[in-house]
Amino acid sequence: MEQIVSQFLLKCLHIILNSRIPSLHPIRRSTVEPGSVSRVRKSDRWFNLLLGDRPSVLDNLNFWHRNLTDPMIVDVILVHEVSNSSSVDNLYGNSAASRGGGSVETVIERWTVHYESPQISPQANDSLSHKKAYKKLIVLLRALYSQMRLLPAYRIFRQLHSATQSYNFDIIYKVSSFSDPFTLTRVEQEMMDEYMFSTPVEVVPPGHISVSVSFRKTLSDFNLDPSTSLIPRIISDYVGSPATDPLRSFPSSDKGLQEMPFPSRGTRLPSPSPFQRPQSWTSGIHRGAAFGYGFPPTYGLPSPPDHFVHRAQSYRPSVQRTTSFDDYQLSPPFSPASSPSPPGHFLGSNPLQHGRPRPGSAPVMIPRQVATGTTRYATPSSSDSNRHSLPPPSPRSTRLDNSSQESPSGIRMYKKQEISRTGESHLGTTSPYTGHKIMRDNRDDSGRFSGLLSSSDSPRVGFSRSSSRLSFQDDFDDGDFSCPFDVDDVDASDSPASHNLEGKRASEFAPASPMGTKSRDAAVGVLVHMLRTAPPLRQDLSCYTSQSGKTEQDGGIATASGFFMPRKTTDGLEELRSYREMKDLLLSKSATRVFTTEEA
Amino acid sequence: MNCEICQLKELEVEHYEIEEVLRCILHTIIFHRALGLVRPKEIDLELFEITYVQCGDTEVEKKIDEKIEQFICWVEKHPNKKSQICLSFYEVKNKQASWFTNKIERLYWEQWYINLNVVQQPKMHSSKSSNSKVTVESGEDSHEDRSVRRTTLEGSLRDVLFQIIKFVNDKKDHVPPIPNREGVISFPYEITIPSSSDSAFGMDMIKRMLQTGHPTMLS
Repeated sequence: MEQIVSQFLLKCLHIILNSRIPSLHPIRRSTVEPGSVSRVRKSDRWFNLLLGDRPSVLDNLNFWHRNLTDPMIVDVILVHEVSNSSSVDNLYGNSAASRGGGSVETVIERWTVHYESPQISPQANDSLSHKKAYKKLIVLLRALYSQMRLLPAYRIFRQLHSATQSYNFDIIYKVSSFSDPFTLTRVEQEMMDEYMFSTPVEVVPPGHISVSVSFRKTLSDFNLDPSTSLIPRIISDYVGSPATDPLRSFPSSDKGLQEMPFPSRGTRLPSPSPFQRPQSWTSGIHRGAAFGYGFPPTYGLPSPPDHFVHRAQSYRPSVQRTTSFDDYQLSPPFSPASSPSPPGHFLGSNPLQHGRPRPGSAPVMIPRQVATGTTRYATPSSSDSNRHSLPPPSPRSTRLDNSSQESPSGIRMYKKQEISRTGESHLGTTSPYTGHKIMRDNRDDSGRFSGLLSSSDSPRVGFSRSSSRLSFQDDFDDGDFSCPFDVDDVDASDSPASHNLEGKRASEFAPASPMGTKSRDAAVGVLVHMLRTAPPLRQDLSCYTSQSGKTEQDGGIATASGFFMPRKTTDGLEELRSYREMKDLLLSKSATRVFTTEEA
Repeated sequence: MNCEICQLKELEVEHYEIEEVLRCILHTIIFHRALGLVRPKEIDLELFEITYVQCGDTEVEKKIDEKIEQFICWVEKHPNKKSQICLSFYEVKNKQASWFTNKIERLYWEQWYINLNVVQQPKMHSSKSSNSKVTVESGEDSHEDRSVRRTTLEGSLRDVLFQIIKFVNDKKDHVPPIPNREGVISFPYEITIPSSSDSAFGMDMIKRMLQTGHPTMLS
């Protein structure tokens, strides 16, 4: 009898974890044919319910759960971020929420399985009663299984588990053997709806097993939108072809650089007129693009880099959590966890901008999250965060649009800042040569980058590189340009172009590489941008632009070429050649004109 | 052995929703009663945000699909009617050979009645003399109507599923011992749909004939 009970407990836990905790399902359960029943592990056959691989956690349960008569309480906890970092409300008293990251843990379900057996009643070794009990338990487990799918928390689990998007919330669990009623505040208890799984199952009279659950009726209080959205769609659209919707939507970007702040986000960004794009890829993507383009409004940011640093540091402790916090943890794009240089770099380049506080870039964050989503199941490690700490791909910002508001506004702003900065750098660059130089610099950049690049799969890297071939001209290649495309309109006239460019980049970038690589490419791109904004480049730019009358155009072209930089040296060289030819042509034209006037 | 009967809450469904709703309910019930070794299969409904669990047995699926098809045919012949589908579990008892033929007796120990009210859009009624006015009106607010109805139906469907689970949990004692048979389905079951040989059907036909005015009758 005891064996039955303990197995029952295990099975219950297995069901609950399977249905609620996405991190225990790193691989989508491949469709197991019913015919493969024969290969089922014996341990899985208990209660005639095949559940698949048992999480290793369960193996420890027997060890942990010493007394069978203790209730087993499984709490399903939703961890999500709140935009207001001051509202740290850690219900469980662990240090997670205290990290200024503003993550809140809320118990959304509490499952209680209790086997009560008064004293040591003579265990009637009545096989009949055992069989009956077993049968009843089978039914109970079936009901439990179906129930798991009907409760509201299942939706969230499915969202998380879909693995195509990353979210800024996560579900973790906690198993305890005592009822912890005071982890739930009064208010919370009221919000929970209690459901008792019918009468306790009489297993061996007079003992019985009961299963009950308290669950939160509605989970709409939480902003559980995906932090990135429509990534799959973007990817599917983009198959290396230049003509994708996002690109086409660029042309009319002269509506104003005012970017629509993340509407759904909790960030209270001062929002200028929303950036209306005539054609929208999808609601989410367009918005995201808008973000990228929009002239970042002045956000009242507490110094983003600091915030970023702060958040980055919050990574490390989180690594130790049993469940994955990767999603939102890795989101801060420039996690300086690995190296302080990114923030420093940003800070350094800040003065270059016209002192405009550039809002953080949420968009940048999103791609990161996407990347993280894919890497979610990788072992969280600081090295991971290191790699991902590089400037997030700003194009990802397209996805940011629909992302939930939970992501810290600070980080978002930070990203924006980054994006805007890089945009500015784009505008600043006119000379293909400088672009080329940037490219080189990019290569020599911190070992981080090289590490980053090398760490990604080579095909992906290559892909992203080639895809970052953005042509600034109307012929928008659907390159997966990984450079963040923050729009810095140093030059109002350039802004549309940059908008387009950035939007394109965003779009390109989004589909560019599968999850993980994007972040890296974006990081590379961002770095390139950063390099471009370095003073020497600007000088080159200024003297270059002063030469020909077609300043803007050149600027645009140069910017475009600059954008191309990260992609390939050969591409850059080609462009360089072409631009040189153009320059020569222009010079010769002006020269001939002068000559003719002189003659005349 | 008493037969437990469960009357499920009535659902108002539209024609195109019948299949999904029925499939969901039938599979859920059978999942809870198929006590053999089962690898549960989760199916998401397309029309609603509900996930239900199938027992994963292809034969069961086929049988259910067949029955659903039959039911839909029946519904098409009898539009706008309340219908009931009965899913019953029985035990096979061999009756002693009497001087009647050796009948195999079925002892039903559980019966589920699924109550559906198939509602059709007014404009789909061709037999009735629905004038164009009615059609126009229905067309205008049909969108809103439809979404409202859809949400209500989703809620009701969820309630029905909860009802099933509750019933399954509450009453376990009447479930007979699991026979030692291979396979997923431990108990034989049958699905009964209203047949066309109902006397009510005949009445309906007559009524309709009177309304539409059968040529022979008028003349």
